[in-house]
Amino acid sequence: MTILEINNLKKIYTTRFGSSKVQALSNVSFSVEKGEYVAIMGESGSGKTTLLNIIASLDKPTSGEVLLNGQNIVSISEKEISSFRRDNLGFVFQDFNLLDTFSIQDNIYLPLVLCGKSYDEMNARLKPIAAKLDISDILSKYPYEVSGGQKQRTAVARALITTPQLILADEPTGALDSKSADSLLSLFENINNEGQTVLMVTHSIKAASHAKRVLFLRDGEVFHQLYKANMTKQEMFAKISDTLTVLAAGANNKQENKIK
Amino acid sequence: MSKMFYAKLAVSNIKKNGKFYFPYILTSIGTVMMFYIMCFIFTNDGISKMTGSVYIKTIMIFGTVIIGIFASIFLFYTNSFLIKRRKKEFGLFNILGMDKRNLARVLGIENLIVAAAGLIGGLLCGILFSRLMIMILAKLLKFNISFGFQISIYAVAITFIVFIAIFILIYLNTLRQLHFAKPIELLYGSNVGEREPKTKWVLAIMGAISLLSGYFIAITTDSPLAAIGLFFIAVLLVIIGTYLLFIAGSIALLKILRKNKGYYYQTNHFTTISGMLYRMKQNAVGLANICILSTMVLVMISTTVCMYLGLDDALRNLYPRNIEVTAQSISVQDCQYLNEIIEKTLSESKNSSIDTIKLRYLNFMVSQKEDSLSFVSNGVYLNNEATAALFIPLDEYNRINNSSLSLKENELIVFLKKTAIGNNVTFADKNYKTIKLTDDTGLAKYTSIKYSDNYLMFIAPSEKAIMNIYNSIALDKASNTNLNYYYGFDTNVNSASQLELYNNINTALNNSKSIHSDQIYVGCAESIREEFLTIYGGLFFLGIFLGILFMMATVLIIYYKQVSEGYDDKQRFEIMQKVGMSRTEVRSTVKTQVLTVFFLPLIAAVIHIAAAFKMITKLLEALNLTNIILFAWCVLGTVVAFSLIYALVYSLTARAYYKIVE
Repeated sequence: MTILEINNLKKIYTTRFGSSKVQALSNVSFSVEKGEYVAIMGESGSGKTTLLNIIASLDKPTSGEVLLNGQNIVSISEKEISSFRRDNLGFVFQDFNLLDTFSIQDNIYLPLVLCGKSYDEMNARLKPIAAKLDISDILSKYPYEVSGGQKQRTAVARALITTPQLILADEPTGALDSKSADSLLSLFENINNEGQTVLMVTHSIKAASHAKRVLFLRDGEVFHQLYKANMTKQEMFAKISDTLTVLAAGANNKQENKIK
Repeated sequence: MSKMFYAKLAVSNIKKNGKFYFPYILTSIGTVMMFYIMCFIFTNDGISKMTGSVYIKTIMIFGTVIIGIFASIFLFYTNSFLIKRRKKEFGLFNILGMDKRNLARVLGIENLIVAAAGLIGGLLCGILFSRLMIMILAKLLKFNISFGFQISIYAVAITFIVFIAIFILIYLNTLRQLHFAKPIELLYGSNVGEREPKTKWVLAIMGAISLLSGYFIAITTDSPLAAIGLFFIAVLLVIIGTYLLFIAGSIALLKILRKNKGYYYQTNHFTTISGMLYRMKQNAVGLANICILSTMVLVMISTTVCMYLGLDDALRNLYPRNIEVTAQSISVQDCQYLNEIIEKTLSESKNSSIDTIKLRYLNFMVSQKEDSLSFVSNGVYLNNEATAALFIPLDEYNRINNSSLSLKENELIVFLKKTAIGNNVTFADKNYKTIKLTDDTGLAKYTSIKYSDNYLMFIAPSEKAIMNIYNSIALDKASNTNLNYYYGFDTNVNSASQLELYNNINTALNNSKSIHSDQIYVGCAESIREEFLTIYGGLFFLGIFLGILFMMATVLIIYYKQVSEGYDDKQRFEIMQKVGMSRTEVRSTVKTQVLTVFFLPLIAAVIHIAAAFKMITKLLEALNLTNIILFAWCVLGTVVAFSLIYALVYSLTARAYYKIVE
């Protein structure tokens, strides 16, 4: 079953006085099946973040559509967009985005409280998730009292607690040391194995090698994609690496062509 | 590096930090201006020519000192705020290769620019407005004099010296902060202190006790004399209580709310309570400052306005009739002579009297043991056991009240003010039956007994009976051999004619040798009106003036709080939106918090005023102002006006806040 379908997405940023235009996404189309784990890779400026922001309904595309479970999120009104985001999407950010004014537990509860859930229900939902993410012991602490890895696991718990259709992760390992990054990546893999659909944007080859499919973005277009299928992580790592080299070389070729 | 580089950097720093520097410069200008105007008034020649100029000068010197102290505290506060905000910038400069000495130089130039702008701008505004201010003061004091445009060199010099000293101290303080900071600390300077506040139960409870005992004193104090002494204690307790409750009490309360899971985990309460916890930690002291300042503005303006408007009342309380003659220990016959002299003087000056009151009476201090009354000698008047007693003969009472009461020889009619007595009263073993009266029929106010909080008023069968009682209990050196006499009347002529009449009566009585009395005193309300006017008008002027200064301070603190809150909230605002709060939801929770934070001090100030109301009326009573309704109106008017200004300031600064956040 297709959970996310993106058709001919285009995004053009216009500078403040309209004098120059930057095309962030020129024509992006792809789809994500339920239970998939997709990584999107690309260099800085390739449009990764723009794409993620549009899927997250934080930004509107210039043209094209984003279908989540068949519903076009581009046309959802401003009023309903927040509750839609709350009910269907879970977010994990590079800089965690935890609120210092809340304890770890309250940070995880935040989206549920916004939905108006009762304390007992929230508590019942939190217990298994906290156990799975190994954060049961730090629930009463505050974000500034715990490590980066724990912060990111808290963010993952916050994303999971609403049982979203899709988890969107923006460079989730970007601010973590390699050990925490590894444990977070295997965590994502576990979650995915339990049936959770994950869409991750990343720079890191290692992070991408955990995904079942990797999409490569260049100059606002899907340039290439790789399926992991039966490959091991090491094989996948090598393959992604190669593709990135080709990608970079391709960019060079293009430049050389221009010069000629 | 060229010398110009520092200057350029300093100028661009000021421009870049305009949001913080501009109000700081404005404050400097404002305080310099007010300081100059105060100095100008007390050094002014025109004022010196006024009657009662001594009072005005004393009041204005007092005002100058207050403004001076306040200006330094306040400029320090704004400057430290500025430095705190800029620590990151200093850190960056430091890392880019400017050492602390270079930084100190740049800061020195910045301070110099601010000081110059403040002093020049303030002095110019002060010179410009000083004439207006002195005109207003003259108008308030009903004093007609044309003041030319003047610049007081003396005032300029004082202002200059005082403020240069303040600015130098501020600069030294900045250097101190800079000196003790490490670059890395500078870089993260404004990020420290994000930890969750601890609950300080002891402080919270102490605050509550302090505040409540302050309120208790204010509400239970009944006597004006006690009010003067206790007022400062009550004020001190309330100030301590306010600070402690804002700092510790607010956090304790929020934590209790947070522990209540059913309440806390609701969409509206969740973000608000946790946000408030954080805000109160950051802002408690600032908010308590605003609260205390607001209370000061409210008390000062409402009392001085009331005193000024209630001037006539106060004079009337002091002198129930326009012109009064009081004679101590005078015989009935001599009273007749006295009456004749006064009436002759009245007819000579072709004046007529209205509402004439003539009253024979005797008053002295007694000490009460149950129902037995004994004499109190002169030395121990202030003893708490002493009660004032007033005796009026029955025929005088009946004559003045047009009544026809009668008394047996062993009976006394008694009116009690804040005292109690049984059905019998004993004077030196002699027993009298008491008949209680519920109204003093306005007689007490003609005698000095009106200054007492509690007294006994007796109506005795005859003058002889009164003297018998007096002689039976009086000590050896009893001063009265006869009753006292009061003769008071109103006139319908203007102030000048009243004064003339007053002088004529005075001379006539002094020249007459036929009257035998211990002491004759002639009083006229008009004779002290000017004195009262200079004191009350001067205080009124000072009250408004300081009120404006404190208001300015309040406004500035609110502005700085709003702006700094804005920068702190920006990030939280973004995260909440990413997590799934809509723009309107975030807006409404932020609005609730901001509104609570900024209107809390105002609400607390109004509660303070309400609690202080009774005590202030007692203080005013000590100043002969008994018109409680007038004071209530003054308070109400001041509170409404202040709240409106407060709300206006809030909405203006809120705009700056939302601009930053969005």
